[in-house]
Amino acid sequence: MAVINMAAKYKTTVKEPGTPGVLRMSEDKFIFVPNDPRSAMKLNVNFRNIKGHKFSKDGSKQALLNLTQDSEKGGGYIFEFDNFSDRNVCRDFVGKVLGKFQAVTSSRQNEQPVPEKPAATVHSEQLSTTEMERRMKLLWEDSELQKLHKQFVIGGVLTESEFWATRKSLLDDVVQRTPKQRAGFRSAMLADVRPSTDGRTNKVTFSLTPEIIHQIFAEKPAVHRAFLNFVPIKMTEKDFWTKYCRAEYLHRTKNSVAAAAEAAEDEELAVFLKHDDILANEARCKIRRVDPTLDMEADLGDDYIHLPDHGILRDGSKETADAENELARRTLSQDLNRHATVVLEGRALDVELGDTRTAAEALARSKQAELCTETSDEKTNQERLEKVSRMTEIEDLQAPHSLPYAPLCIKDPREYFDSQQANAVKALGDTGAGIKPVDFSLKTEEAYTYLLEQISEVKVRGLNNLVVQPEATLKVLNGLNPYLSSTKYHLGKKPQECVLDMLPNRTKDELLHHWTSIQELLRHFWSSYPITTAYLYNKVLRLKDAMTHIYHKLQEIKEAVQSDFRHQVSLLVQPMLQALDAAFAHYDTEQQKQSTKSGNKPNGFVQ
Amino acid sequence: MKFQIEDVTVYFPYDYIYPEQYEYMVELKRALDARGHCLLEMPTGTGKTVALLSLITSYALARPSPPLKLLYCTRTVHEMEKTLAELRLLHSHLPPTHRSLALGLSSRKNLCVNPYVLSSASRDSVDSACRRLTASWVRAAAAEQPPGAVPTCSFFESYDRAASSGPDAVLLPPGVYTLGDLRALGREKGWCPYFLARQMIRYANVVVYSYQYLLDPKVAGIISREMQRECVVVFDEAHNIDNVCIEALSVSVRRQTLDGATRNLHRMAQEIDRFKATDASRLRAEYNRLVEGLAQRGNLALTDAWLSNPALPDDILKEAVPGNIRRAEHFLSVLRRLVQYLKGRLQTENVETERPVDFVASVSSQAGIDQKMLRFCYDRLHSLMLTLEITDTDEFLHIQTICDFATLVGTYMQGFSIIIEPFDERMPHIPDPVLQLSCHDASLAIKPVFDRFQSVIITSGTLSPIDLYPRLLNFNPVISRSFTMSLTRDCICPMVLTRGSDQLPVSTKFDMRSDPGVVRNYGRLLLEMVAAVPDGIVCFFVSYSYMDGIVNSWNEMGILQDVMQHKLVFIETQDVVETTLALDNYRRACDCGRGAVFFSVARGKVAEGIDFDRHYGRLVIMFGVPFQYTLSRILIARLEYLRNTFQIKEGDFLTFDALRQAAQCVGRVIRSKADYGMMIFADKRYSRHDKRSKLPGWILSHLHDAHLNLSTDMALHIAREFLRRMAQPYDKAGTGGRKTLLSQEDLEKMGEDPMNMF
Repeated sequence: MAVINMAAKYKTTVKEPGTPGVLRMSEDKFIFVPNDPRSAMKLNVNFRNIKGHKFSKDGSKQALLNLTQDSEKGGGYIFEFDNFSDRNVCRDFVGKVLGKFQAVTSSRQNEQPVPEKPAATVHSEQLSTTEMERRMKLLWEDSELQKLHKQFVIGGVLTESEFWATRKSLLDDVVQRTPKQRAGFRSAMLADVRPSTDGRTNKVTFSLTPEIIHQIFAEKPAVHRAFLNFVPIKMTEKDFWTKYCRAEYLHRTKNSVAAAAEAAEDEELAVFLKHDDILANEARCKIRRVDPTLDMEADLGDDYIHLPDHGILRDGSKETADAENELARRTLSQDLNRHATVVLEGRALDVELGDTRTAAEALARSKQAELCTETSDEKTNQERLEKVSRMTEIEDLQAPHSLPYAPLCIKDPREYFDSQQANAVKALGDTGAGIKPVDFSLKTEEAYTYLLEQISEVKVRGLNNLVVQPEATLKVLNGLNPYLSSTKYHLGKKPQECVLDMLPNRTKDELLHHWTSIQELLRHFWSSYPITTAYLYNKVLRLKDAMTHIYHKLQEIKEAVQSDFRHQVSLLVQPMLQALDAAFAHYDTEQQKQSTKSGNKPNGFVQ
Repeated sequence: MKFQIEDVTVYFPYDYIYPEQYEYMVELKRALDARGHCLLEMPTGTGKTVALLSLITSYALARPSPPLKLLYCTRTVHEMEKTLAELRLLHSHLPPTHRSLALGLSSRKNLCVNPYVLSSASRDSVDSACRRLTASWVRAAAAEQPPGAVPTCSFFESYDRAASSGPDAVLLPPGVYTLGDLRALGREKGWCPYFLARQMIRYANVVVYSYQYLLDPKVAGIISREMQRECVVVFDEAHNIDNVCIEALSVSVRRQTLDGATRNLHRMAQEIDRFKATDASRLRAEYNRLVEGLAQRGNLALTDAWLSNPALPDDILKEAVPGNIRRAEHFLSVLRRLVQYLKGRLQTENVETERPVDFVASVSSQAGIDQKMLRFCYDRLHSLMLTLEITDTDEFLHIQTICDFATLVGTYMQGFSIIIEPFDERMPHIPDPVLQLSCHDASLAIKPVFDRFQSVIITSGTLSPIDLYPRLLNFNPVISRSFTMSLTRDCICPMVLTRGSDQLPVSTKFDMRSDPGVVRNYGRLLLEMVAAVPDGIVCFFVSYSYMDGIVNSWNEMGILQDVMQHKLVFIETQDVVETTLALDNYRRACDCGRGAVFFSVARGKVAEGIDFDRHYGRLVIMFGVPFQYTLSRILIARLEYLRNTFQIKEGDFLTFDALRQAAQCVGRVIRSKADYGMMIFADKRYSRHDKRSKLPGWILSHLHDAHLNLSTDMALHIAREFLRRMAQPYDKAGTGGRKTLLSQEDLEKMGEDPMNMF
């Protein structure tokens, strides 16, 4: 890995101004050299001492990176960078280095008997952070997977990529799911910025975050347009927002005289106070597409030929608003409606909320796209008509419509159905009644006559269409028989009860764990054949070692259990052992083939 | 399904029918048989509209001669759309030989397809933009000039060409035409949908339009003139019909109106001078025509049609126009004197209330205009403007208003009063003088409807007390009945909340409403409910100003922010466009499962005709009792009139009016028996018997005694229980003795044994 040099300021606390200098990071340590050679703030720290790193959000005030020494003590090294891109380079570097160190230390902590092999690090391909996050998420969600990962990857049996190669589909699922889950706007009215006063002076403070700014842009198109027009040609971004806040303050204090005076003086400020003409246009567009059964605009003056001042003017229900004021009064109700509309539209941006300018431009782009899609008016009209006709029907006077539905997605079917079954059983136990046991018992004569009939039938027709091979059936039956007879003797009555439940918890967990581990190992083992590269050969070797390890473990378990369970356990372990035996046998034969071949090829393996 | 009611085969568009729908149809049929008027109250959510449409259509099919026409009046255009949608559903279930024509009619603004006309912003300018292209003299000028020199409307021209070969050429095929369908058809064929619809109402079997088209004499004179006696007129959602009648005959004159009228008069004087110089014969012709009377006005071109006389036209048509206003200059000077007189009256410092008789006497003595001249003002103006070929009618609205006022004042001596207020009661520092001619007698406007048509059906979800309406509207129904609702399960849950979570009373009584404790308690109530109730919640407040105030206070207190954690908030404003969009968004928020709250006003536009059924409204909260603004002079005058004429006590009327509004607001949650919803009346005054008993029976019967005096936490508990209960599966058809859903079989069985029906 390369070495990074970056200009930065070193600080011991966030507040202090910091010492300017150069931060130099290499694979195992970082060095800070202050610009001022007299300064005592020289650093030379090994990454081994760094436990973690924190950083400020993109778009916040300072581009900070904090390398924490110890999570308990909280001490650390804080660096401030000139801009976020510099910081992000350093952040990513630190992340990688720390990740490597942590992997090594954790593998040591686990004290696996497998010798530490460089394979784990050598093969650590450059992963994107998103890929990394996805993997972490999967591990986090699935504890079983996490266990396997810990055992084999950190244990060094499998490499990271090998482990994930067989789980591509899982990862892809996560990938596919992510774009659907775009976060919309928050319900809270952020754009309604409330000023805070310090109480001593007449100063009021407005604080704007990127999220608030984004919401302001979405809810107030006039401000958005003004921003695109004015910044940075006419004024700086800071000036722009100062003006905006000033206008907001005037609006909030309901000082219409002062607002009018300011607006007359300052035409940019007036933009914020004036009636939003973009919104008005939008409303005019939208009103055409509104459901006709709630279009109240159509009533307005539907009294055939309309005369003003008709009807009862001043009965208290109508308020005569003075619309003469040119700076139209923006009411809270309008703000609320506008906010809810924007939230409902959920116009999410694909850019990160960092730079205000890019956010503003992205919003403009998405609006443009929206305009383009609005052309398919005919279709929406049709849909609307269908909806109206559906709405008019009284639903319980007729047969129900079959509405389209989304299929139920169960993340882990096994877990779901098992828990359902358990619940059902529990419910049965609670109510006491349950399903009545069906009487399957036949009299001996009946059974006999039935069998006799069957036999005679077979005699006549012959065994011409076999479902299974008789030999195979017999083998399976023989295999199962002792098992059946013994389990029947012990548990028999309740089919829901499982042999596993009888065992002590520790043994059960171990058995289940080994079962999954064996499956994982075997999958890798069989997929490695035919061995074509040295790498695969190494892998098989590793796998074989791990398998022998588990094999011994299983034997141990078998011997360790109490005598009354021993038979059960050995029955359970049997198939695992058989599977492993088969793998070993295959390995041995392959090995023999290899050795006979290797006589011809002295330099080793097939490349 | 298809079944018999006595001798009529009824086609019903569903497989099942509610028993109350069946009963409703039986009563309706009896009223039609008796050729009389009727008054029917049926709870919302029992399919009133479809029952009505289905019976009347079937009845018309069973008795083909004389052809029975249905005039279905709705309050609003969106209700018109809903009705037409139901009608369309019914139509698809009629036998194919029995197809009929049904259409909706609205103003030019909603029907026009001419892009040039549509580009004008307000509805008045749409009207005059249309007139500028289609007036008879404009078309005549266009015919003389080379094509393109005078712009005309291509849609109207091609329609006119098609119609000139006989009415059959433009006859629409049978079917149901909504406003959208008419527009689409107009675009496709190149015909003007507005004039097509106007022409088609003569041939249609069902016409759906707004109340005004029958109740406002100015409009009814043109649109509904040709309707024959064999019409069934239905006023749906008619709980406010008395107010509509009163509004149709009320006019107010403000200072802006008078200024505008002065400008109009000035311009007309210029026009007259111009005509005198160029075409004096025209004015002379008009004079001669006026001598003979106004009766010949009928043969005007379709497009020149004007508003008719605002009073009942029959009395006036037979008389000749008084001699002293026949000449155009004389008439203008009369109008000038009238405007001047009104200006003088507006300069008063005090509130004045006068009867029309006194007012007319005072006009006569001070301005020299007698009653007969006043009465003819409107028609005379109409005639003059036609003569002067004025097309930009939207410029002349002010003088029309003045003449309208004059004609009304000159015609009616009873049931009106004139109120002059120098400023609005609530804003005494802003001078805004208004002269209001307010009608108190709802029966005046509706009288011609009752007289002309054989059956008038007044129906709504809330007509309680049902004996009050015949008195207010002055008619004798042959049948007046209030139906209850048979429910399969208790799917409505009305509650009266009297106390907040701190056990202090809540109310919108004037002295309590701005108390921060009450505001907070109302806010807490909403907050608790928003967290517990799924999908849509609707809140009704007593007035716009109260809603604005309380929403602002909630915003300051942070309650609104907490509410927004759970649901999006939408608010009705006085801007109709914004409210419509807010409603549309509210529905979408409910559809997508996000859930929303809608704040609305009890007497506002939303409360009037928007349904909050199913997931669009699982809970309605009525904050306070929506009393009218009792200090209003108009209301005081009206109450006095009601007391003197009908012996109705002021308090009773106010309570009746408030409770019908409240019931109307909460009644919007239920659409069918499968639907469910809660209603919270949040005011301590609802627990009093005199208030509560005015609610319609179907709400009262579900209002348990235990739910009469709740605090917020108890209401929350009840709400949770209710929602849990509603989530359980149930038997739709109803169990036990009483069925709540009838199939065709059940109906046939009932038909055989009519004595045992209910």
